[in-house]
Amino acid sequence: MRLLLAAWLCAMVTCSAGERKIFPYPYDERDFPNGLRLITIPTDYPNVVALYIVVGAGSRNEVEPGKSGFAHLFEHMMFRGTRQFPPARYEAVLKAAGAASNAYTTDDHTAYHTTFSKEDLETILAMEADRFQRLEYSAEDFRTEALAVLGEYNKNSANPVSKLYEVLRDTAFDRHPYKHTTMGFLKDIQDMPNQYDYSLQFFRRYYRPEYTTIILAGDLALAQARELVGKHWGAWQRGDYRAEIPAEPPPAGPRANHVNWPSPTLPWVIAAFRGPAYSDVETDQVALDLIAQLGFSESSELYRKLVIGEQKADVLEAENPDRVDPYLFAVWARVKKEADLDYVREEILGTLESFRAKPVEAERLERVKRHLRYRFALSLRDSEAVAATVARYVALRRTPETINRVYELYEKVTPAEIQAAARKYFVDSGRTIVTLAGGKSQ
Amino acid sequence: MRMLPPMLLLLATGLEAAPRLVTLPGRSPLVSFRLVFLTGAASDPAGKEGLAALTAAMLAQGGTRRMSYQEILEALFPMAVSVSAQVDKEMTSFSAVTHRDNLEEFYRIFRAMLLEPGWRPEDLTRLRDDAVNFLRVSLRGNNDEELAKEVLYNEIYAGHPYGHHNLGKVSALQKLTLEDLRDFYARRFTQANLIIGLAGGYPEGFPERVRKDFARLPAGRSEPLKLPEPSRPGGLRVTLIEKETRSVAFSIGFPIPVRRGHPDYPALLVAQSYFGQHRMSGGRLYERMRQVRGLNYGDYAYIEYFPRGMFQFEPDPNLARRQQIFQIWIRPVEPATAHFSLRLALYELDRLVRLGLSQEEFERTRLFLTKYVNLLTRTKSAELGYAIDSLYYGIPDYNSYVKSALAKLTREEVNQAIRKHLAAADLRIVAVAKDCEDLRRRLLAGEPSPMRYNAPRPPEVLEEDKLVERFRLDLKPENVRIVPVGQIFE
Repeated sequence: MRLLLAAWLCAMVTCSAGERKIFPYPYDERDFPNGLRLITIPTDYPNVVALYIVVGAGSRNEVEPGKSGFAHLFEHMMFRGTRQFPPARYEAVLKAAGAASNAYTTDDHTAYHTTFSKEDLETILAMEADRFQRLEYSAEDFRTEALAVLGEYNKNSANPVSKLYEVLRDTAFDRHPYKHTTMGFLKDIQDMPNQYDYSLQFFRRYYRPEYTTIILAGDLALAQARELVGKHWGAWQRGDYRAEIPAEPPPAGPRANHVNWPSPTLPWVIAAFRGPAYSDVETDQVALDLIAQLGFSESSELYRKLVIGEQKADVLEAENPDRVDPYLFAVWARVKKEADLDYVREEILGTLESFRAKPVEAERLERVKRHLRYRFALSLRDSEAVAATVARYVALRRTPETINRVYELYEKVTPAEIQAAARKYFVDSGRTIVTLAGGKSQ
Repeated sequence: MRMLPPMLLLLATGLEAAPRLVTLPGRSPLVSFRLVFLTGAASDPAGKEGLAALTAAMLAQGGTRRMSYQEILEALFPMAVSVSAQVDKEMTSFSAVTHRDNLEEFYRIFRAMLLEPGWRPEDLTRLRDDAVNFLRVSLRGNNDEELAKEVLYNEIYAGHPYGHHNLGKVSALQKLTLEDLRDFYARRFTQANLIIGLAGGYPEGFPERVRKDFARLPAGRSEPLKLPEPSRPGGLRVTLIEKETRSVAFSIGFPIPVRRGHPDYPALLVAQSYFGQHRMSGGRLYERMRQVRGLNYGDYAYIEYFPRGMFQFEPDPNLARRQQIFQIWIRPVEPATAHFSLRLALYELDRLVRLGLSQEEFERTRLFLTKYVNLLTRTKSAELGYAIDSLYYGIPDYNSYVKSALAKLTREEVNQAIRKHLAAADLRIVAVAKDCEDLRRRLLAGEPSPMRYNAPRPPEVLEEDKLVERFRLDLKPENVRIVPVGQIFE
């Protein structure tokens, strides 16, 4: 284990660009004949193992009308048991392992994660293999679980940010499934109880080894991980389904939308632009990541002005999420007074325009690059965090190596490339503005 | 039984040099800081609710004598470090994690933030706005679940030093002055109140250096707060918060005399885990409410304060309190099933009190907790936080404490503790809902509230529903109150 630690201590943060890889752990990547991939990452953290099972299907795969939110509903169904492990037994095994277990669904992938004591590795792997291969639930269970999804929508519905995401996507996209959120449209959620047959089809399509990557991080040995995964997952049958994801036509904006929130809340403004897809080869996406930091992070000029100086906004941040297909670069601001909405919007657009107008200073860019390197190093605080980070990237390129490649890209991006990306993406045709304002006090 | 926490005893007798150090050295390249002051919202004077929180915010999110807040943000940015403050009733903690490459540079700034605050009026304006907007918008406006929980605490502790939200009251926040904050800082941010926690790959001698630096704070004296014993309401009390919202969020609870170190803590920990382990699907409430009946997204139980549960799976450390409550969290339900859901939650609590755990349920839950405690402390920062809390409660490190107590625990002890401390007919209920008049009328009328399902249910569920739909809630009109949401936290 000493070697491992030495590798980490000399992680990229302490070394100049290009000498070391940002992902500090040696890992093993193994493909099984059925298409399943296993990534094993022994870490220095004792006793605990984190398992992430990543299925390369998310709300992006909801291509049929009326089926929005289905990948997420299916994530719920995965907890409805098998013949060998009905829910009560499944829970009993998890409990006996002292495990923390959960799942989440995103646009591009669904992940099932469990953190547990190392001695329970085989028990957990065997039980998870069983549900991925032999899930079985009744129509009644399905209808009940659809209600739990409605409950999830309900608990989210008190927050205007959920509504803003719904409206932003619906406004910015026409054909691509990114038009809807992972939760789905409310009308589709309300119709979910009637979709039992479709749910079985969803399982047959996507819960297949060629869509799945298993990540194991923690106190374990490579040979043991390979052997156990081969033993319990090796017989899983490959599928042959490929979804036709509708491509989004070129942007034809600018577009705008407004949400009247029924109860009192602070107003919001979002300025979004159609952006590129994730890439660890092309610089566009990483250039926009850097703009998000340069223009809108806590150390930015605009934050200094709007949040700390004038104090007109109390939230200002830009997001540029990594997605399989082209998605959105968006700046969000929560404004203290509705009368300032237009002013804040113009300040945001002006800041974006400044990236088009002139190249950023090299020194400022270097500070952002340093921030990203340290932020990554600080995020790997335990085995669970290591596995969770790898899962996010595995959903995009199916290998942790993409992390090293994308951080190498960050290092290489020049002020000229950042300006070029701003000119390409911050254009009127790609723009969507969404605002929200609250109702009166009760 | 009134007990002085061992930590406070220790402080009072001055057995150890202040400020105290808790260190967990390790080989990791990360260094975790947790500086905990034994003061908090319970020390807010009447009319100045929010003083502790706003003082802490001025340190963690304001400038120092030499640097403006913006300069601090700019300096910390390349290191990707942020300083966070957490204020609870009796603890105020400042935490950060830095890579050891940046330890010196970060520590220089962090030290100045805590020892040489700048007290700038523009920081106060911004942070006061943040606190008011948190209460009015983030909590009252946008988070029905946390709102119900926090109002429950306020109701249970009405007239008690715990009786207001940790961030304060809007009307009091609006009157606080820089003078108030400086005064609170001078009186409460003392060596006697400070525990310095450090973990990870810091260099040799570093902890002593930090202790020496913080010996610049006033020595101070430990002055344990007088906390009256909160009482049970003597029946059911309901507060309905009227709000424009889709669904109904419930929080239910009552005070318990049990905290870490209390002889019944391990037993109630097992009971709570069996009944509703946070965000896990194995709890009894979750199983009966969500899994079997699809009423909502989840249902959980607690014996310690656990804020922000909708955003995280594990509790934050450094929320140690002398007094805790037993709490049930019912995630939002459809308005049509609100009455049934409340009845089911109380029916299940009643069942827990009557039947307790079976031997098998006891064994299974005990085994779970014995292993699960390892997950709670899997990061160095969390381990450090728990170590500080253990010092406060006067127990060994949390993992050893729980594991050794569980090893000796019996099913009968768990069931006895349940009967002694829990009750289904003597508690407070808070609901956030639209059309509270209608809900109030239904609750008071006490008519059956039958469930209608979208699919056939097993006969045993339907049989049980017949009991649940008539489960008696003994409510009098004067005990069901409606409060417009706009009045909360004002």
